[in-house]
Amino acid sequence: MNQAFGIVNFAGNHIQVDGLQDYRPVGAFSFLGRYRVIDFPISNMSNSGIDTIQVYIRRKPRSLTEHLGTGRHYNINSKRGRLHILYTESNMVSDLYNTDIAAYIENLDVIERVPYPYVVIVPSYMVYTADYSNLLQTHIDSGADITLMYHSVDNAKEKYLSCYTLDINRQKGVDSIQPNRGNAKNKNIFMDTYVMKKDLFLDLIHKAHKMSAMYSLVDIVDEACQELDVRAVPHRGYFASITDFRSYYDANMSLIDLKNAQNLFVNDWPIYTRTNDSCPTQYFDGSHVTSSVVSNGCLVEGTIENSVIGRGCVIKEGAVVKNCVISSDVVIGKGVHAENLVVDKHARLVRGKRVIAPPEKPGYIKRGDAL
Amino acid sequence: MKQNNMLAMILAGGRGTRLHELTKKMAKPAVSYGGKYRIIDFPLSNCANSGIDVVGVLTQYESIQLNSYVAAGRRWGLDAKNSGVYVLPPREKADANLDVYRGTADAISQNIDFIDSFSPEYLLILSGDHIYKMNYAKMLAYHKEHNADATIAVIEVPMREASRFGIMNTDETSRIVEFEEKPEKPKSNLASMGIYIFEWKLLRKMLMTDMKDPDSSHDFGKDIIPALIDDGKNVFAYKYKGYWKDVGTIDSLWEANMDLLDKNNELDLNDPTWKIYTEDVTTLPHYVGPKADINRAFITQGCVIDGEVKNSVLFTESKVAEGARVIDSVLMPGAVVEEGAVVQRALVADGIRIGKNAVVGSADSEHIELVAKRVKGEE
Repeated sequence: MNQAFGIVNFAGNHIQVDGLQDYRPVGAFSFLGRYRVIDFPISNMSNSGIDTIQVYIRRKPRSLTEHLGTGRHYNINSKRGRLHILYTESNMVSDLYNTDIAAYIENLDVIERVPYPYVVIVPSYMVYTADYSNLLQTHIDSGADITLMYHSVDNAKEKYLSCYTLDINRQKGVDSIQPNRGNAKNKNIFMDTYVMKKDLFLDLIHKAHKMSAMYSLVDIVDEACQELDVRAVPHRGYFASITDFRSYYDANMSLIDLKNAQNLFVNDWPIYTRTNDSCPTQYFDGSHVTSSVVSNGCLVEGTIENSVIGRGCVIKEGAVVKNCVISSDVVIGKGVHAENLVVDKHARLVRGKRVIAPPEKPGYIKRGDAL
Repeated sequence: MKQNNMLAMILAGGRGTRLHELTKKMAKPAVSYGGKYRIIDFPLSNCANSGIDVVGVLTQYESIQLNSYVAAGRRWGLDAKNSGVYVLPPREKADANLDVYRGTADAISQNIDFIDSFSPEYLLILSGDHIYKMNYAKMLAYHKEHNADATIAVIEVPMREASRFGIMNTDETSRIVEFEEKPEKPKSNLASMGIYIFEWKLLRKMLMTDMKDPDSSHDFGKDIIPALIDDGKNVFAYKYKGYWKDVGTIDSLWEANMDLLDKNNELDLNDPTWKIYTEDVTTLPHYVGPKADINRAFITQGCVIDGEVKNSVLFTESKVAEGARVIDSVLMPGAVVEEGAVVQRALVADGIRIGKNAVVGSADSEHIELVAKRVKGEE
């Protein structure tokens, strides 16, 4: 697909994932043990034949730049292709001004120099698989100015509360983009995924910049719905939006079921990630593991039930890990019972014998914490 | 090459006939081991971790897979400037007949021009089919310290097994005074590991002579090493302590995999300071289903387990369905054990499917059963 380049956008101000986001942007969150959230959008692009990819970072770049590296692990052509990591300027009066539009303005010349006529803009904080070459073709064939992707859900009252929704008319045209106010079950959740001509994209950036210093791309596209031909394409398959703590936990848990996972990890659509060269996981006498997803490099002596385990974790003798999402290099000590938790990287649960959160409100153990 | 002026050559032409079907279409160094590795990952990772930048891999038998596998030097970090993995199958040259490698020494002789192009001071010769972790930089330091002309890595083997190996007899300074290939009455238990460091200039001279010798079998163990010792050269034994395995048979390949199940196994693949690198495959983490029962196992990414796995090693993307039992066994990459099937004391080859309720291997067999063909189950 040598007609489009890709932009992986960051999570805006309205998205707040408590705990985890203090240490890194959502794109760099550990996901399903061996992945990071951003592996999904970038793999989608790479598999769709997009080999010029710009990743925008708003804050805390360390873990994300470390993970992305040169981008070679995403199977992007190392000569013709390019993974570009771009930053906003953070010396702003307030974080509120640190919008995606500000980031694009900051890197305008980089965008202008890309030789492709179309741009595909996707979020770094949503997990789904989609073929952007099909999306682009649909967009070109329809003659629309902008094409957006959405996912229809029937639980928008209690979920997707930090997402936008699309008002779609009968002609598949988009009338407006509204925040999800949680007032109806059935909604078309906007997947923050856009296709348009690069020139139009540049126009919109300038327009938004003039209009308001706090505008983001979604605001200006919402306005554009009045005068431009903005259409929507539905997405089918697995979709998760990592836009608050609960959705992060739920997305991980939902993929423990292999059937769900097969809706996300489809044939001939590899999801790439950075290898860690960890050895396989070792299970010892006394280990008891059911309904779980386990990454490489773990040493397991205890019990794991209905959990996601990251790379290089140690689950000691007599330990019980139940309904947990465990990041990499975590130690669950002898006899410790951990339940309904998200445990961040390098944490050690060794002394507290019972660390149990209520199932309706999973707990969070901070990065590197010793308990 | 800058790092220590030593170039490594890995002998990877061996066929490994005693591995039967496993090496029918693939050279022995390319055989899978330890869940996610291939045997040749070990010498290659050792080189990378020891600061060796240039590695030649001498291939011959069924080399297509092996050639493409090792050519991607990036996997082991051997891709910096002036660094690389070079695949060296026999090739036609202007002034000589095209010939296969007639022996281990001949394989090096036929690539003298390649080695010369890097003008190394030292040449490290390795075997592509051994499983071990070793810091060759330490061995080189030992070599220099002893002012040796050649240094041979040796490992102590049980005396009763010594007659299966090439045995080094040394004096009190570790200088090798005699070399005996598979001696009936071994005088020592120091077995050659097939790892040699040579002064390249000296070896080069010896190889030139060896090439012209019609009586030579062009082999390091049989010809070059004995000649060095007979010439009174300084040949030293470098004692290695640690895990080392030559997996020549199905039984020993199985056993080497089983070794990984021990909690404090000597190989310790989990050591962050000496990682073994391999191909990066894009698969999910392993999935453990609600009916799974896992005890003493070594399991890698891409596996899906919903049955019983005991005392077994599961390679990339192998599957154990509900109600199936895998005991004391090795499932190579992509092997599938369907519902209710039982696999016991067996090694199931790459991509082989064991059908529903089928039974392979048995608890009291003398040897490990190699399953290299699809086993039909109940329809």
